[in-house]
Amino acid sequence: MAFFFQELVNGITTGALYALVALGFSMVYGVLKLLNFAHGDLYMVGAYIGFFVIRWFGGAAHVDIPVPLLLVIMFVLAAGLVGGLGVAIERFAYRPLRNAPRIAPLITAIGISFFLENSALLLFGAQYRIYNTSDFISLSSGIQIGSVTIDSVQIMVLVLGLLLMVGLRQLVNRTRLGKQMRAVAVDREAAEMLGINVNFTIAATFFIGSALAGVAGVMAGLLFNQVTSTIGFIAGLKAFTASVVGGIGSIPGAMLGGLLIGIAESFITGYVSSTYTNLLVFGLLIAVMLVRPTGLLGQAQLQKV
Amino acid sequence: MRKSVIIAVAAVGTLVVAGCSSSSSSSSSSSASTSTSSSAATTACVASTGMEGPLTGPVASLGQEQLHFAELAVSMDNAANHTNISIVQGDTQLTPSIATTVTQQFTSNSKILAVVGPAGSQEVEAVGPLMARAGLAFISGSATAAALTTGKYPTFFRVVSKDSVQGPEDANFIVNTLKPKALMIVDDQEAYSTGLVSAMTPIFTAAGIKVDHESVSQKVTDFSSLVAKVTPETSVVVLPWQIAANAQQFGKDLAQEHKNAVIFGTDGLFSPGTFEISGSYVSSFGPDITGIAADASIVAAAKAKYGSFGTFGPPVFAAQHVVDEAIASVCKAGQTPSRANVLAAIKTTNEPTSILGQAIQFDSNGDLVNGKFFLFKINTAGSYLLNSTQLSS
Repeated sequence: MAFFFQELVNGITTGALYALVALGFSMVYGVLKLLNFAHGDLYMVGAYIGFFVIRWFGGAAHVDIPVPLLLVIMFVLAAGLVGGLGVAIERFAYRPLRNAPRIAPLITAIGISFFLENSALLLFGAQYRIYNTSDFISLSSGIQIGSVTIDSVQIMVLVLGLLLMVGLRQLVNRTRLGKQMRAVAVDREAAEMLGINVNFTIAATFFIGSALAGVAGVMAGLLFNQVTSTIGFIAGLKAFTASVVGGIGSIPGAMLGGLLIGIAESFITGYVSSTYTNLLVFGLLIAVMLVRPTGLLGQAQLQKV
Repeated sequence: MRKSVIIAVAAVGTLVVAGCSSSSSSSSSSSASTSTSSSAATTACVASTGMEGPLTGPVASLGQEQLHFAELAVSMDNAANHTNISIVQGDTQLTPSIATTVTQQFTSNSKILAVVGPAGSQEVEAVGPLMARAGLAFISGSATAAALTTGKYPTFFRVVSKDSVQGPEDANFIVNTLKPKALMIVDDQEAYSTGLVSAMTPIFTAAGIKVDHESVSQKVTDFSSLVAKVTPETSVVVLPWQIAANAQQFGKDLAQEHKNAVIFGTDGLFSPGTFEISGSYVSSFGPDITGIAADASIVAAAKAKYGSFGTFGPPVFAAQHVVDEAIASVCKAGQTPSRANVLAAIKTTNEPTSILGQAIQFDSNGDLVNGKFFLFKINTAGSYLLNSTQLSS
């Protein structure tokens, strides 16, 4: 039973990360109907920002400010800078193509992905950058229940991830900006006629989605200890899959999809074999798509005639 | 509904890409660009050499180290031999199809007289026939699959030993010295890794060791679920991987889940400063040249120019040096360097000593004569100590 709970904890932690990245992916799709394949690379940039903040404040072994303050700076800077980068990408790469055939921004997104990945390679080098989280956050400072271990970084990821997901849901459902986002998602032209500033709303969506990816990147750095220019590829892929399985465009769907993938990966690795993890997880997801092409929480859209 | 179906199809398509990418790097196009070596050449001994390596992609850290050492070798050899040899870079991303494209570019460039690389055995398999057809000598500093030197690639050479030596030697060391009752062995879904696992597993099984064989992509960075499977009786985890940062994370996950298994890694895990799990072992085709007194000037130059390094760079330095010396010897003989005479000169290489601390001479199939493997143990300070049991062929 302890093994079951250990795998569950591991799966939920990883799933929370997937969910955070998936949220941004799903938001952008919801508003722009754009599959933003550069989203995973924003996560990579966030992870690098976290690493350089640690280095700026003395390095993992000699952090010269209180650790909670360091963490706040890491998350805030990653969210702000990556959010800004997302807005810049939208302004210069996607906005000019807003009325182009849908394949054009899709290809542009892939191009931006490679641009960011190779820029990081040139700027930061090919070597893996190591967070060495355990040098400033003790591994033994978590919770031990029997033989189930939940370390403090996992707890932080879970709590922060949950807070961000709930906060985002509140923002979308309860605020004026959220209403504008939903209006633009439903019908951009009608929203514009109603006086909604569509450009601002889309930019805000990109900022929030990208900021979440930046935060997830820092979380991944703290959790998995490493960052390199290629980590965005797999993260983006998982986020896309989570979004689609949950129902692309749906915020609860993205959360559900991320958590499902994380937990499925964990249990298949634990109870079957890591050799078959991708095979079985993606097989399962294909089955979900065949049964519910709109995703678990997605809704079929009416076609205007 | 139609949009939903489109999205579902896109998702399935992406999954197919994901499946493909588990055994290959990202699919950006190959590149071939020129970087000239620094030398004040004073003679007409001018030549270009190719350098194939994973300069981008998941193992770019290893490829960049290889490139740095190739550049360093050319720089030093040009100064010593008064030659003007330059390097043409080819990024293979450790992917056979991309290596093939790069090789086609190299073989059609008549200025290139020999090639250093590629890094991976699967890439050598892909480019071997092209190189042979072009009469282009190529020397790898890290391709270790035994099948490469059976005579099918007559222009292929390597300055490192082969898997058929490393796999069994490593396995026997684990069986006889670490004496596990159960172990976990995890391949990284690359030909290099699965080849070593295939060579080791029968020895473990024959010794009555309970083996849990797992497999994770190089792109995976979360090992918590896998580590949870390490049972109390599992005292050794074998990681024949190429990415040291992944092994470091695996070790951290072991500690976090209070598991005491010892990690035994290979080649790519030799990375002081990145993989430093105390008590771990690493077997490597390359020595730690920082411990070789004769290499002090090279070590100093490399550290000053590129920072810290592992064991993937020095063998490429050795390979590039062989090529440079072959070209220089042709020039000294009063000939104009060509692919044919450089190939002939490489075949007769006989260096009594090298950066690797051993002689370099090739047998008729291109294998290094008396190639060695080196076994290191990581101490509590994260330093790599040469184990008293040195593996050798």
